[in-house]
Amino acid sequence: MSIERIDPELCNGCGTCVDSCMVDVIRMDEEGKKAIVRYPEDCTGCTFCEQDCPENAIFLSEIKTEPLLVCWG
Amino acid sequence: MSSETIVETDVLVIGGGIAGCFAAIKAKEQGVEVTLVDKGYVSKTGETPFSGNFGVCSPEFFGHDLAAWMNQVSFLGEYVNDPEWTEITLKESYARWQDLLSWGVQFVKYPNGDWMWWPPRTPERLAKVPFQAIRYFRRKHAEVCRAQAIKTGVRIMDRVIITDLLKQDGNVVGAIGMPIGSYDLYIFKAKATVMATGTATLKPHGAVWAALTGDGEAMAYRAGAEITGKEWNDCHAAIAVNPGANNQHVQGDFTKDRADDYGEHIADGYNAEGNKFSDGEEEVALYIMPDVFEADAGRAPVFSDMATKSSRPAPAPKGIIRQQVDIEAEKKGWQREVAGHGLGMSVHITEGIWPINTKCATGVPGLYAAGDSCGARQGGSRYTAKGFATMSCAVTGTRAGLGAAEYASQAKKPVVDEEELARLKKILYMPVERKGGFSPGWTTQVLRNTLTPYWVLYFKHGERLQRALAEVEFLRDRILPKLTAKDPHELVLALQTKNMVLCAEMKLRASLFRTESRGTHYREDYPRRDDPAWLAWVKIKEEQGEMKCSKEPIPEKWWPDLSKPYEERYPVRFPGE
Repeated sequence: MSIERIDPELCNGCGTCVDSCMVDVIRMDEEGKKAIVRYPEDCTGCTFCEQDCPENAIFLSEIKTEPLLVCWG
Repeated sequence: MSSETIVETDVLVIGGGIAGCFAAIKAKEQGVEVTLVDKGYVSKTGETPFSGNFGVCSPEFFGHDLAAWMNQVSFLGEYVNDPEWTEITLKESYARWQDLLSWGVQFVKYPNGDWMWWPPRTPERLAKVPFQAIRYFRRKHAEVCRAQAIKTGVRIMDRVIITDLLKQDGNVVGAIGMPIGSYDLYIFKAKATVMATGTATLKPHGAVWAALTGDGEAMAYRAGAEITGKEWNDCHAAIAVNPGANNQHVQGDFTKDRADDYGEHIADGYNAEGNKFSDGEEEVALYIMPDVFEADAGRAPVFSDMATKSSRPAPAPKGIIRQQVDIEAEKKGWQREVAGHGLGMSVHITEGIWPINTKCATGVPGLYAAGDSCGARQGGSRYTAKGFATMSCAVTGTRAGLGAAEYASQAKKPVVDEEELARLKKILYMPVERKGGFSPGWTTQVLRNTLTPYWVLYFKHGERLQRALAEVEFLRDRILPKLTAKDPHELVLALQTKNMVLCAEMKLRASLFRTESRGTHYREDYPRRDDPAWLAWVKIKEEQGEMKCSKEPIPEKWWPDLSKPYEERYPVRFPGE
């Protein structure tokens, strides 16, 4: 379970989702107009962003896969 | 490049969950200035929003039997709770509940107006499991606590991560931190500080508490405080078929029944007949432990019987989230589970910073601890009741807030040592200054992979603990100093990775030190409870740059009756006893 996308057509730029995320996955874009999924790899699937969005602009996916462990990174 | 802002306050509360909110509100009510800081947004942060039960003990209003509740906790916790703290917590729970009600928290009622208690108030259930909690609506309670803090006059600073405590002449005089998304520095000068950052985890698979990275315990440890309870384990399970699917942990936490792949009902096999708390609520006591034993014996996968699921109302998320289960298992009403959903977590209220008195003061003057950050040990070696943790957060939050306010009203104005500040700033920004090195994400992944196989933290052995410790020491000495961060987000990850490596070291050392088995700490090489030698608590402290464990004996007045046969004192059987 993790965040898949924020629909920019539906997003009203309120920034609620930025506060909803306790692991700083979501930020406002450079113009500060729309919310973007900036760090998707850190999403824990708590679903608060989806719950709190007043425009139902946030979509979650059931899939969360861990990256393969490599020798260094 | 980055700015520095000084924030002066009387009481600094680090962490805005239920414990931190209580601490901040109660301190502010004493008339001191209070600043509450959280790396997320208070009310949408930590583990608090996910809780749904609040323990309420009242002989006067609900006819509860305090002695029976105390007995349940001591018995299920296997006699390593602190009964003084257990009693304080139970006795003050009603007043804290009244606080929450008066602030506007909605507790759930049945249509006939009765409170929704768990376990239900039938004579049969209460005879077996006296401890009760009242349900409330998830997330709403956290919003109410935030609103109350603001109403009381607490200054809330959201999305500011505290990175280290500041000390002057051996006293904690504040902390440093950064706003999320920036390299700017906040310097907090506080007469008293309350650490309320919650439990420590290693970002377990399938869990929503990836923000709980042990920051508070790590900071307190670095400041010279003692940490306790790290050898115990949280034993939540994830759904085996898609363990990365967070927020979908096994609903079978409180099923009455589990079976291995041979179809054998496993809880009975580890729970002697006549176990007093055997009406399904032994699941509270045993949790995932039987699963671990069955897995090691080669009888995994393990299934939870959904037909016996204890029903718990919870508001569903807005969208449609379909739970992934085995098609075959689903047909039979079973759910396949695997441990690890609580990896790194010890037992709520039993792990944390050691309080030296009932005002929640720690061993470092100026530093108080509340909630899951406070190792008051109300509960012992496993979870002993629903709603106990939130109840304890409110009680210790209150006491820490009052204690900190009292201390602050007598403390001198803090003076910050410039050399110490420079030292901490250098450590803080090191990953940004570096060229080349290791990413915090990869390092955390290695740490988790090292500790996740069941034979390290769940089915322990001295040799395996030593091997894991050698890996963790390598991370500590050879990888952490070379962490890199390409932006402020990654710098926060680097800080959290360091804290998690420290947490892992504490868990492994405490597990090595306790040479017995008890509760959620099982050691194959010491499979029996060792009374009275290990009727004791383990404390961890930094001494001359090294992590040292020590034993704090439990007073004899709190021991179980040693004349009772071992099997009667401890009805849960461990492999190899």
